[in-house]
Amino acid sequence: MPIYEGYGTITDKLTFIIDIGAAYTKIGFSAEFAPRAIVASEVRCKNTNQVRNIYDYKDKEDLYDLLVEFIHLLYFKYALISPKDRAVVIVESLLCPTLFRETLAKVLFYHYEVASLLVVPSHLVSLATLAIDTGLVLDIGYTEAVAIPICHGSPVLHAWQALPLGSQAIHSHVKTLLSADNTGIQNISESVLEDIKEDIKVRCCFVTKRERAEKLRSVSSDIAPCPSVVYPLGGTKSLNVSGKLREMMYEIFFDEDLDHLCISTMILNVIASVDVESRTLLAENIVLIGGTCMAPGFKARLKAELYRQLKNERYSKFKNIKTIKFHTPPAKENYTAWLGAAIYGATEIVSMKALSKDQYFKEKRLPDWWSNLKDVVRSI
Amino acid sequence: MAYIIEQEVVKYVCTCGLLKPISKLYFCRYCLEVRCGFCVCHEVDSHFCEKCLENMPSAEARLKKNRCGNCLICPSCLLHLSVRAATVGPKNPEDPKATPRKVVYLHCLMCRWSSRDVGIPDQIAATGGWPERENVYNVRLSEIIEWYKSVVLLEKQQKLEKDKKKQRKYMSFTDKTGLTAEMIRKRIGLTEPPNPLLKTKAKPLEGAIAKEDVEELPDNIFTQPIKLNEITTVQQRLLQPEWQPVTVDKLFPIHKHLSVKQSLRCRSCEHNVSKPEFNPNSVRFKIQLFAYYHIPEIRIVTVEPLRAGQPAELLLKFINPTQHQTVVTILDLSSMPELIQDDKCSADTSTDDELKPIEKEPLSLSLTQSASLLHTTLSRQPSFTIKPRQTKQQVGADIEIPAANFVLPPRDDAAEFDDSGENYNFNDDPRLVKWRKSNKAVIKLQITPSTDLNLGDQVVVGFVMQHIYTNTIATSVEKDKEPQKCQHKIRVFLSLGNLLGSSE
Ligand SMILES: [Zn+2]
Ligand SMILES: [Zn+2]
Ligand SMILES: [Zn+2]
Ligand SMILES: [Zn+2]
Repeated sequence: MPIYEGYGTITDKLTFIIDIGAAYTKIGFSAEFAPRAIVASEVRCKNTNQVRNIYDYKDKEDLYDLLVEFIHLLYFKYALISPKDRAVVIVESLLCPTLFRETLAKVLFYHYEVASLLVVPSHLVSLATLAIDTGLVLDIGYTEAVAIPICHGSPVLHAWQALPLGSQAIHSHVKTLLSADNTGIQNISESVLEDIKEDIKVRCCFVTKRERAEKLRSVSSDIAPCPSVVYPLGGTKSLNVSGKLREMMYEIFFDEDLDHLCISTMILNVIASVDVESRTLLAENIVLIGGTCMAPGFKARLKAELYRQLKNERYSKFKNIKTIKFHTPPAKENYTAWLGAAIYGATEIVSMKALSKDQYFKEKRLPDWWSNLKDVVRSI
Repeated sequence: MAYIIEQEVVKYVCTCGLLKPISKLYFCRYCLEVRCGFCVCHEVDSHFCEKCLENMPSAEARLKKNRCGNCLICPSCLLHLSVRAATVGPKNPEDPKATPRKVVYLHCLMCRWSSRDVGIPDQIAATGGWPERENVYNVRLSEIIEWYKSVVLLEKQQKLEKDKKKQRKYMSFTDKTGLTAEMIRKRIGLTEPPNPLLKTKAKPLEGAIAKEDVEELPDNIFTQPIKLNEITTVQQRLLQPEWQPVTVDKLFPIHKHLSVKQSLRCRSCEHNVSKPEFNPNSVRFKIQLFAYYHIPEIRIVTVEPLRAGQPAELLLKFINPTQHQTVVTILDLSSMPELIQDDKCSADTSTDDELKPIEKEPLSLSLTQSASLLHTTLSRQPSFTIKPRQTKQQVGADIEIPAANFVLPPRDDAAEFDDSGENYNFNDDPRLVKWRKSNKAVIKLQITPSTDLNLGDQVVVGFVMQHIYTNTIATSVEKDKEPQKCQHKIRVFLSLGNLLGSSE
């Protein structure tokens, strides 16, 4: 007689932790130290056989169907548990559109009949991996970079800053840079190029040093860029990934726009908008999360950029900030937020604060994570 | 079985409002409604390894993180690794009596990755014992989790305490006498019963310390050419979330991820509409209420060229899959009103209503539903059903609804091979029924594509098929009773092809 999964045999509470990123989704179980799987946030459309990212939805109903399809995969291909009557913790970004979070809750409660749902903010829970309650969390994901300061367990919401700088910006840059050294690039189909952009970025590129970037940019450059790479495209075809591309790809993160905005100044602007006492503390507790932060050399470059900006006249009020310090969470950057949620999920917060099915049907909406978690979070 | 892979031209409307070919529909014999993969409740039935076809009890699967203990896959190309035997020199070469040893290592037949490449020591036993890697942060993370657990527990305890006090204010009987339960306990020499979980009061945990030093780029990155084939791809990295190796020499074999068999349950009556056999080798089902076995199947035989405004002849073949005779009646689509038509006006603002769960009567399990079902669903909350969606299919042709109905005899597998002239006497309307053989009949319908259609548009017709369904479940209990017959209606849409230009 088979022992049925799900009913009757469960003694422990198994909470499913989902972090749906713009490019990759991290899933796993509470109290575990790493996600079970990191998978692309996309589904293959059954009728057209097209791969669609779940954030490329046309309208509410389209998103509902995409999420039904995607979450089915998460449960039955990766997590291998029945969704019904189980608790779920969702990691959410501050900038998550209301339509998305409401539809996600609807799919989980109506379609999958989950028992309860706890939504936790990615920036806040990331600090749990370090057992600290104050820090400046910078999340660079696929579509954007978002920085939020957290002081004594409370996100300082008015101080948040975001820029449309992420992997997507890098990827769209790849083609421009590639066409400079590859005359035949027009002959390569768009879909092939789409597939290899990320691979080229991850395997060939790194964040170079500021001095080198400046020199490489000037016409009379006296240094040689790093060696170029021949990137095979299958068969006899290949692409030339120049040394300049390899080094300069990430420069868009540090190029100030007309308002002097870039990753480094964004962090300093965040620090500027909190009270004076907290500023030094935040500068000495920077936490980087999100897959894009994993680029080789990124942390070192960001540190150098922050020190350089501090010398600038604009930040003269930051005289007290002498050092910039970074944390190293016990996880890879791309699943730090997930890990934080897995820690939260292991505690009684789930039973105390999660939205139950009955409550949801009564209220028909998802409360903001902030009003919901406030009091518990403070105690941590 | 061509219709499984061919384009879906005949679609039935599921109770939930979605259009599906008959091969993707289920028929709940208890609700007498069709269901589809979208509107049933999916459950994990059993875990198994695709490679060794070994079942794994769910508890064990959970413990092993859904991975097979025996099968390993190649971290480079994801194919199964094979175990290779090799002979190596004796441990102690000086010893003249030492014989060469037999060892095994892992090898990928596809991409030639080998466990020796990454420095995994050869093993003696073929069954494995391959070294497992641990998360380097294990100790610290366990501490952190324990700490957070106790902090939150303390918080919860205090909150309960507060609530209790609040409650006592109004409700405690002892209040009136100026005594609280606590005070009484103290007076009689009892102290507060300690919570065993709080005994080890959260000992403070050191928060992580940030550092100014960060990892710098290696100097040789600017001068040393890189070898692409030594750098892992994103996919290879993400397969091992904990390690995400950057170079191929850090790729370690991966335990094969398990698969599951799913069972499907009707959300309105909680009966299974599909339940697979437990054995991973078997592709059969214990319960399979496919609509294909219960609902007449419709196939398009021929259709005359479709021209806007001109009547065309459509020949459809109906097949009765059941052991009981049925009568099929073609009705107009309007004979089966959509359940949700009242929502039409609020299509844009219906955020709250569109998915309203339909309140269900408490579970009334019929006698046939043995106690076993009740048993397995002890901790299971009853499902609820969701309001059906509006079917979005546009109809592009008028259909002349025939006045007569027609009979489909039961399926008889032996008759398939019987070529002797059959004598049917079903009083068929000759204008409707054109051909019949055993449980099949071809009928003729007249359709007129709408003049609103453009050249090349797909012409879709729709009608309601009403058929007599003979319910066989009741008979198994009360043997003497006649099987129940009922009229079942289902909407059908047919894609007939593209609109042609005028014949001139
Ligand atoms: Zn359905
Ligand atoms: Zn196996
Ligand atoms: Zn391989
Ligand atoms: Zn049913």
